[in-house]
Amino acid sequence: MGPKNFVIAIVLAIALSAGIFVATRLQAPAALNAAFVLPTTTPLPEFSLVDQSGSVVTRDSFRDRWDLVFFGFTHCPDICPTTLQILAVARNELAAAGQEPLPRIVLVSVDPERDTPELIGEYVDYFGDGNLGVTGSLDELRKLTSGLGIYFEKQAGESDDYAVDHSAAVLLINPDGEFHALFSGPHSIENYVHDVPLIMKSR
Amino acid sequence: MRHCLLLAAILIGACSAEPQPPLVAKELVVTRPMPGNGMSAAYLSLTNNTEQKISITRVTSAQFGSVQLHESTLENGVARMRAMPELEIPAGATVTLQRGGKHLMLMRPTGPADVVSLQFFDDDNLVLSVDAAFETKAH
Repeated sequence: MGPKNFVIAIVLAIALSAGIFVATRLQAPAALNAAFVLPTTTPLPEFSLVDQSGSVVTRDSFRDRWDLVFFGFTHCPDICPTTLQILAVARNELAAAGQEPLPRIVLVSVDPERDTPELIGEYVDYFGDGNLGVTGSLDELRKLTSGLGIYFEKQAGESDDYAVDHSAAVLLINPDGEFHALFSGPHSIENYVHDVPLIMKSR
Repeated sequence: MRHCLLLAAILIGACSAEPQPPLVAKELVVTRPMPGNGMSAAYLSLTNNTEQKISITRVTSAQFGSVQLHESTLENGVARMRAMPELEIPAGATVTLQRGGKHLMLMRPTGPADVVSLQFFDDDNLVLSVDAAFETKAH
């Protein structure tokens, strides 16, 4: 090989390497900030609870839309409203950025003893229109939480004054009604604004 | 003569300086009571300007039937909230009550209000009284 051909070969090799590098970078999914996407999505278990209007909520209620689901309770003054506020602000920012579809925000009560449909309705409405509040019997609630690995436990307290320990995670449910991705706490607006569109797009 | 004037100026300055209150509250935020059950939370920083620790054992508010010292924790993915028997502010130190950590839980509002007053007690001694407007809705 003469010197001229050698130079051409080097240039071609560099160009080929650069092309492969660019192609692989374009195909690689963008890195997520915080969400963990399940390697295998999990269908929601069967359960029957009610929403703020008293209508029955089953796993079919989570079809044909994306949902961000948080498990909490209305007598929680710190973690729960802070988390719902983060979700509400993130949703507003996604809407302002033109994101379609927008996820629905869902609060499932882990304190159905105190959280009546009316109470949970007033609570979720405070964080914006279109949010879903879910409550119902403890047995049905456990069907849902145990199927998703969500923990909750009522703590000792005086009559109506008690706390409930609960998983801090927010679950992203896909339009097939499947548990698709998980946001562990602590939560931040930026992580939802960044990760939710990427997850939706990559499905 | 010049030294005498300087000394006089220092003394006058020292005499006119406001004595520091033993406990100072800053960055006070009180969340708007939630519709339905009226739950609210207060966050602030407390600075102890004395040379002895101050223990807050009780907080009261005319606008709420009950105020409790609480601490939220997030451990192994589980959120927990526990009552604290007291909040200790070491001598010369600042303790911050913030979202997801130590906070005041305000329950049972006594009626509609725009301003919240909070009184902090070390046993029966009132050590601090502060007023704050409810925070504006952020969404």
